[in-house]
Amino acid sequence: MSTTLAGVDVPEGASTPAGPLAARTRGLRKTYGRTVAVDQVDLDVPEGAVLGMLGPNGSGKTTTIRMLLGLVRPTAGEVRLLGHPMPEGAGHALPDVGALVEGPGFHPFLSGRENLLRMAAAEPRLTTSDIRGAVDAALERVGLSAAANRRYRGYSLGMKQRLGLAGALLVPRRMVVLDEPTNGLDPAGTREIRTIIAELHAAGVTVLVSSHLLAEVEATCTHVAVLHAGTVVAQGELAELLESGSPSLLVSTPDTSAAMEALRSKRIPSRLAPEGIRVDLTAATAPEVLAALVRADVPVHEARRARTGLEDLFARLTQQEADESRMDGLSGVVEADGEATP
Amino acid sequence: MNPKRKAVAVAAAGTALGVAGLGVIAMPAGADAAPELPPVSAEALVESVFSAESPALSGTIELDNGLGLPAIPGAPALDMDSARVHNDGEGRSRLAMQDGGTERTIVHDGATVWNYDSASNTATKTTLPAEAATGHGMTGDGQVTDPTSAAKDVLQAVRQSSTVTVDGTARVADRAAYELVLTPKPTERTLLREVRVAVDSETRLPLRLAVLTHGTTEPALQVGFSDVEFGPQPAGLFRFTPPPGATVEERQADQGREHAPKTEAEPQFDAVGEGWDTVLVGEVPAELLTQQAPGSDDVNVRGLLGQIGKPVTGSFGSGHVISTNVGNALVTDDGRVAFGAVPEQVLIQTLGDR
Amino acid sequence: MTQATMTARERAPRAPLTRLLRAELRWIFRRPRTLVVLGMLALLPVVVGIALTLVDSPGPPGGGPNGAGGGESLLVSAGGNALVLPVAALGMALALLLPLAAAMAGADAVAGETAHGTLRGWLLTPVSRGRLLLVKAFGVAAVAVAAVVAMALTGIVTGLVINGGGTLFTLSGTTLSFPAAVGKVALAAGWVALQLWAVGAVALAISTWTEHPMLVVVSVLAGTILFSVLGALDALDWLHPFLLNDSWQAIGDVLRDPVPTGELTEGALRALCYIAIALSIAYARLTTKDG
Repeated sequence: MSTTLAGVDVPEGASTPAGPLAARTRGLRKTYGRTVAVDQVDLDVPEGAVLGMLGPNGSGKTTTIRMLLGLVRPTAGEVRLLGHPMPEGAGHALPDVGALVEGPGFHPFLSGRENLLRMAAAEPRLTTSDIRGAVDAALERVGLSAAANRRYRGYSLGMKQRLGLAGALLVPRRMVVLDEPTNGLDPAGTREIRTIIAELHAAGVTVLVSSHLLAEVEATCTHVAVLHAGTVVAQGELAELLESGSPSLLVSTPDTSAAMEALRSKRIPSRLAPEGIRVDLTAATAPEVLAALVRADVPVHEARRARTGLEDLFARLTQQEADESRMDGLSGVVEADGEATP
Repeated sequence: MNPKRKAVAVAAAGTALGVAGLGVIAMPAGADAAPELPPVSAEALVESVFSAESPALSGTIELDNGLGLPAIPGAPALDMDSARVHNDGEGRSRLAMQDGGTERTIVHDGATVWNYDSASNTATKTTLPAEAATGHGMTGDGQVTDPTSAAKDVLQAVRQSSTVTVDGTARVADRAAYELVLTPKPTERTLLREVRVAVDSETRLPLRLAVLTHGTTEPALQVGFSDVEFGPQPAGLFRFTPPPGATVEERQADQGREHAPKTEAEPQFDAVGEGWDTVLVGEVPAELLTQQAPGSDDVNVRGLLGQIGKPVTGSFGSGHVISTNVGNALVTDDGRVAFGAVPEQVLIQTLGDR
Repeated sequence: MTQATMTARERAPRAPLTRLLRAELRWIFRRPRTLVVLGMLALLPVVVGIALTLVDSPGPPGGGPNGAGGGESLLVSAGGNALVLPVAALGMALALLLPLAAAMAGADAVAGETAHGTLRGWLLTPVSRGRLLLVKAFGVAAVAVAAVVAMALTGIVTGLVINGGGTLFTLSGTTLSFPAAVGKVALAAGWVALQLWAVGAVALAISTWTEHPMLVVVSVLAGTILFSVLGALDALDWLHPFLLNDSWQAIGDVLRDPVPTGELTEGALRALCYIAIALSIAYARLTTKDG
């Protein structure tokens, strides 16, 4: 399957993982009245993967996750979580799924430990005698042991987030779903979350983590699904997505206008970049570009291949509507893909 | 099934069940059709009432008051929510009158009558004269020697001014009953249209009394059983021991009527006329008129009359008429009183004639 | 499809119900607000009892504002009678305070938990929605029972301390033994608790429709006042049997001897009808609402 948007070609096979799927949605749609929150979402979460669900706020990440977990009944489409249809199979699937959705939810007048004890009481996989041990272990794991007996009311945002994570990790899980887990965390807290995700991954746990921050996904995930305006616009292995998109050449030159003029005459698309100019390599090879520049007597300091980068992809996917007028970054690509400039 | 449809089904089923239950609760008791009973003549019915043994029973008596009394500001409404009656059929009875959160209990154990008021925690003990103790019937007024002749006497007296008929049947407190109806003769000058007495077809116990006035379908006054059960009653009900801390007063029966001892200022009344248009005439002590009205600080009784009554003048002088659905009362400014189930003209005329 | 039916037939792992109920109780009775409300309710009979001894004279019957509420006129007899005080206090509080306490419990149970995001936590563990309603209804019922029992206990103790042990007698003047008196108070308390369960069930139903607990409390408060007003209008007497609080004044009947059971039974049946309606609506909403 291939997903195309704004000139980004996702290579075939990137969204068709070889292994079994921990979670899968097909044709997922959710409407609230006349508002379409999510439409035609076909999401694949391969077992053992760390899938980053990337999208700006309001792109439908949380709605998709809530349908995945059976909290919300889809208007149309189907969801399977750990092999069980959702929301009907929630009783079977959810005991093996840890989740932190829409921020941590705890009672302010109870201590962190009491909050977790209350949560643990409902855990089907915990026997009554194991509850205390499981709670203490989870608190230890997120680094909250010292603050366990303080009231949740007095917790900092980061502590609250970590307590929520502890709730998701009360029992060994097959899958962990984290909705914006680093929200409100300081850099140290963010690193801890990354460490925990890495540990889970190492233990073979499937992790689904949503974020509107690209760096977070880039740093922790093996797979990416990009949501935009309620639909999945790209998904696949992180490495493939990083390599995908149009290759380009970064040319460092003191005379950018002359360089761009020269390239334009050869019908090679280019655009201004901080380091100089970025030349699209879909229409021409690197030697051709350099030759064109040299022949036009443009001084060139340096030329190197730039990978498109998830950031570039993400920016192109999501800035589109937010910034219709300032499409300078995309225009070159669009032009290159569409009709050639005169 | 679609979970949404299932949820709606559950909600609909549960709600329907609950609402149906509420409907059953709300269904008025005894709204069934009039029962079929063998016909009986008025004479036979009245006689059987007089000759009937007072049966052992327990029941609840309710009073529906549609008298249309003028509202007196600050005064307690004249109401008794209901009264529960127990009678062992051998002269012992218990009557508990409920008014809001208080209760007045009257226990008649054959020889003594205890009258206990929970609001003031006082118990009044009245010892009955020996001959009254052997009487039966809930009134305890003494023995009816010959029911047949007594019934005849009563009927004869009543028939001078009324038509007495048996007007179909009714269901009262889930019992089949005959409706005995007393209608005033056309010559009677009265506000009342008829008086209906429902008599139990089996025990011949009067179950309900209703007073109807002209121009209304709802009784102006109705007192009757809302539920009744015949059968032996536990003996403990007819014994009374005053609770600790209660004020106990002792009375002899001849000191006055047993249930309602007279207050010293109680006025005396003369009956003028007979039948339905009897008017009671008397005088109110002057000090009563200048007393403060109950529940107010600055209005005396005379002022209160001005508020609730209608001023009238006539050959008797001047005064105020207080009207209710069943009768009128005329209080003159000089303290004379006349009242009866009659139009106010009759009262004015009666006082003027004296 | 076959896969779906097969997985549905397999028994899903579940946490033991008693553990859920215990957790719910612990949560309810750890909440400071619950404890404050229960404490204040428990103090009410003490305050009323002391106030009555200060006034000391019950006053002439009918001298005060009469018929304003079963509880209030019951107070006339509560002066020198240890049995009447707890029942009168319950009757008084049943008019407004106890329904508010039940409404608060119902509001916190679902709307409050939704607002905190904690309801989602239990749904994700997972707790099925039917069980969730069961646990929540149990919790609300427990608060109602706790409130009523607390008031009954302090009422009995206050009555005995103020009036002495020999002053347990009914409105009909029958003197009762201590166990018989406790039985009467227990009957009153049980009946009041049943009425509160009905209020709590209604609150729970409203609670499933909102995430603002205050809205639930305000609705129940408004409903209680509205029902009282409607109940006072004689023109609407056809409606009265449908009003939950129609027989609330009958609480004083337990103090009569013999107890007239008519209105008490009717009130109990009415409460059961309300519970059936409210819980089925709550179930329908809770099973379909988004978590």
